[in-house]
Amino acid sequence: MRIRSAGLLAALTLTSLLAACGGGGSTPSATGAPGGKTVVIDTAFQLKTTDPARMFEPTGLLIDRAIYDTLLTFNGSDVTKPVPALAESYTAAPDAKTFTFKLRADAKFSDGTPVTSADVVFSLNRVKNVKGNPSFLMDGLTVAAPDPATVVVTSEKPNTAVPFILPNPALGILNSAVAKKNGASDAEGADKADTAESFLNSQSLGSGPYILDSYSTTSQVVLTVNEKYWGEKPAYAKVVVRNVQANVQRLNVLKGESQIAVDLSPEQAKGLDQLQTVNGASPNVFFVFTNDNPEISKISSNPKFQEAVRYGIDYQSLVDLAGEGAVQAPGVVPSVFLGALPGSDGVVRDVAKAKAALAESGLQNPTVKLSYPSDVQVNGLNFGDLAARVQANLKEVGINVELAPASVQAALETYRGGTEEMGLWQWGPDFPDPSNYLNFLPGQLVGLRAGWAEGAAPALEELGTKASTTVDDAERAGLYVDIQHSMNEAGPIMPLIQPAQILVAAKSVQNVQSNALWLVNVRELG
Amino acid sequence: MNSAKQPRGSTGAGRRRPARPGGPLLWFLGRRLVAAALLCVGITLVAFVLTQLVPGDPAAANLGQRAIGDPEVVAAFRAKYGLDQPVPVQYLTYIGNVLQGNFGLSQQSHRPVAQDLAEYVPATIELALFAIVLSLLVGVALGVVAAVNRDRWPDQVLRVVSLGGVSMPTFWVALVAFYLLFFKFGLLPGGGRLDPGMSPPPYATGFYTLDAALAGQWDVLSSAAGHLVLPSLVLAVYTVGMLMRFTRASVLEILGNDYVRAARAKGLPERVVILRHVLRPAMVAIITVAGVAFGSLLSGAVLVENIFSWPGLGQYAYRSAVNLDLPGIMGVSIVVAAVYILINLLVDLLYGVIDPRIRLT
Repeated sequence: MRIRSAGLLAALTLTSLLAACGGGGSTPSATGAPGGKTVVIDTAFQLKTTDPARMFEPTGLLIDRAIYDTLLTFNGSDVTKPVPALAESYTAAPDAKTFTFKLRADAKFSDGTPVTSADVVFSLNRVKNVKGNPSFLMDGLTVAAPDPATVVVTSEKPNTAVPFILPNPALGILNSAVAKKNGASDAEGADKADTAESFLNSQSLGSGPYILDSYSTTSQVVLTVNEKYWGEKPAYAKVVVRNVQANVQRLNVLKGESQIAVDLSPEQAKGLDQLQTVNGASPNVFFVFTNDNPEISKISSNPKFQEAVRYGIDYQSLVDLAGEGAVQAPGVVPSVFLGALPGSDGVVRDVAKAKAALAESGLQNPTVKLSYPSDVQVNGLNFGDLAARVQANLKEVGINVELAPASVQAALETYRGGTEEMGLWQWGPDFPDPSNYLNFLPGQLVGLRAGWAEGAAPALEELGTKASTTVDDAERAGLYVDIQHSMNEAGPIMPLIQPAQILVAAKSVQNVQSNALWLVNVRELG
Repeated sequence: MNSAKQPRGSTGAGRRRPARPGGPLLWFLGRRLVAAALLCVGITLVAFVLTQLVPGDPAAANLGQRAIGDPEVVAAFRAKYGLDQPVPVQYLTYIGNVLQGNFGLSQQSHRPVAQDLAEYVPATIELALFAIVLSLLVGVALGVVAAVNRDRWPDQVLRVVSLGGVSMPTFWVALVAFYLLFFKFGLLPGGGRLDPGMSPPPYATGFYTLDAALAGQWDVLSSAAGHLVLPSLVLAVYTVGMLMRFTRASVLEILGNDYVRAARAKGLPERVVILRHVLRPAMVAIITVAGVAFGSLLSGAVLVENIFSWPGLGQYAYRSAVNLDLPGIMGVSIVVAAVYILINLLVDLLYGVIDPRIRLT
């Protein structure tokens, strides 16, 4: 029957269409692009802008690090030692209030104009006055340029973290003359007056090894080499950062469609012998808290209940759940930072001690509600999986935990409002200095979210004040160790784990290192 | 699709009506466009109210853990996006701006929503068009084959095929197709709209295939067309199954009519009988289903867009929802509503083209 051949015709049409359009496309390689090597990096985008003054998302940090130079920076994965970048040297006053930077004479922007102290002052003041996500980095800091090659950063209070804050790509230095022509402002009121964001999302104004070629918050960002770069030329002429979900990243990197996959979980990274895996502990710290405010909960604020929770959690089982590369967080300061506790100092589960503490608390079969965001993952780890494990652990010591998952937006509201009876959250570092973790102390940002009011632990708070004003690194490290030991003895906050941070890359890509701030050291890839 | 009326008792090919003046058509279009505008306003109101009811604060959703603790930063954010105004004022301001073509500023992309939509809507329409064309070609042809071979083995096989098409979850089909056709056998390109690192063609319509052809960039055209195949095939799996079932049912119903028997008795070739006397009236039902399917492809491709890294409306809608990006959510709602309305209008007009007996009222 002829109509049968119509179906056949349709099938043939489809087949020929596939043949015409298909063929697998072109698979890029780290060596094959015309005009130089291209490297393709797959990551699940967390990207809103590349304007440094408004950018503080992980993908934005990765991109801006390649485009913009900062006064100081970190090499590779080492975030414990700031090294010169645009500043060839710096001195810190003994009171940790004044930092003087000498600029390199040879640094140039991508249009060939030299980088001056005026550009630095403009860029840093702009971050402060635009009042965007990263403006807190400039809290209490003022910047001055006594001469074209010198920058002085002054802090209202002693602030030893300044050299650790300045490498943040949000504090990248812009070509101020071009920026101003395109609507940028560093003056007070820049939150309304500055209109340069769309320009900076179409064209970069940095002095780094790459310039922005194309930008999309949902598909890909393409960087090409800055021909006027003052430093050593990068190995790749083009960097393509693509928005790809984790399980597809795995297939792409295996297929050779991409060279680096950023978001694989330990499970997804297993069995990739033909690739290289960079496996380290993430600086993100998961923790639980039991609200210390009796008005929120008489149960969770009971110190003996807190002790029961602390010793009732099986930390090793949480590490196992998080997979290879994850470690127990022995304190709130991550293992890669100054002042971190050694792994052996972490709290160890002691069921008998937990049960004894619960008995002393006077609470009979207490039930508490554990809140957490159920729709987000951090380093491939679900909050829900961890919460279920904590629930099972605490059941064994006689504590009933009701799980209260919520969308991250809804959960953030109760978390930030300090109204959660018990919460499971994580803290990613704003900058890689232990002073960032003073936020966990009573009366501070995270402390208040856990209902830990100022004055709740005077000795601990005294240690915090001392740590924030101490200049000597060895002494600082000792103080942070003391602070964390004290927090592990008593208090409402219990650090749990640092998940694994994994980069999977083609073996052809050299010097792949994971950085706590910008994930991949794009400009140092070989 | 409910404004097209078929006169009662109209079965066979009756006497041709005199040509209609343009008046009723214009009147019909005018009424439908006014209704569409009112519907869009209603949809913005519903979307706005629902967004207000969602627990969560856009400032908390978009500002970082430190920025949210700084009252100055929070105030600047609220002022920038008009969130410091009373809710009714926010809505009225929004409607006023929309009437001037201003859909507001997206909190997630920091760009005008109109600019976002101009980028993402064509990406999804291009994908959906490709999928619906594939679906119509394959689904209708196989549906006719199934009907003509009723209860014989081709019908039985195609029944299983169509049932499989409508039963399999699209995200699962997407993952399997991606694994097999891209990863395992390398027959088709993987995710994205173009090969990695390839620059998009100069913007004219937002359809990469069309824009590349207009610019004479044949390598870009080849890449864009290649990248369309896999996701559109995946999207087409469901719609092919659905169209097959409807086509089969519709063709079978018409095959039983006296005028078909008369056509066959007259000795007309079977191809002519099927294509001219059966398929054409069957198309009324088929385009109704195709119209609905096209609309759902536009609004329901979130998972497929995510798996294939397709920067379309689905991904934008998802990101807007996650970030409580009110202007983004409203923009997507208006676009999806407008597309549905336009498709309905187009389908109604097509009824009249396919079957002249159908009057537009």
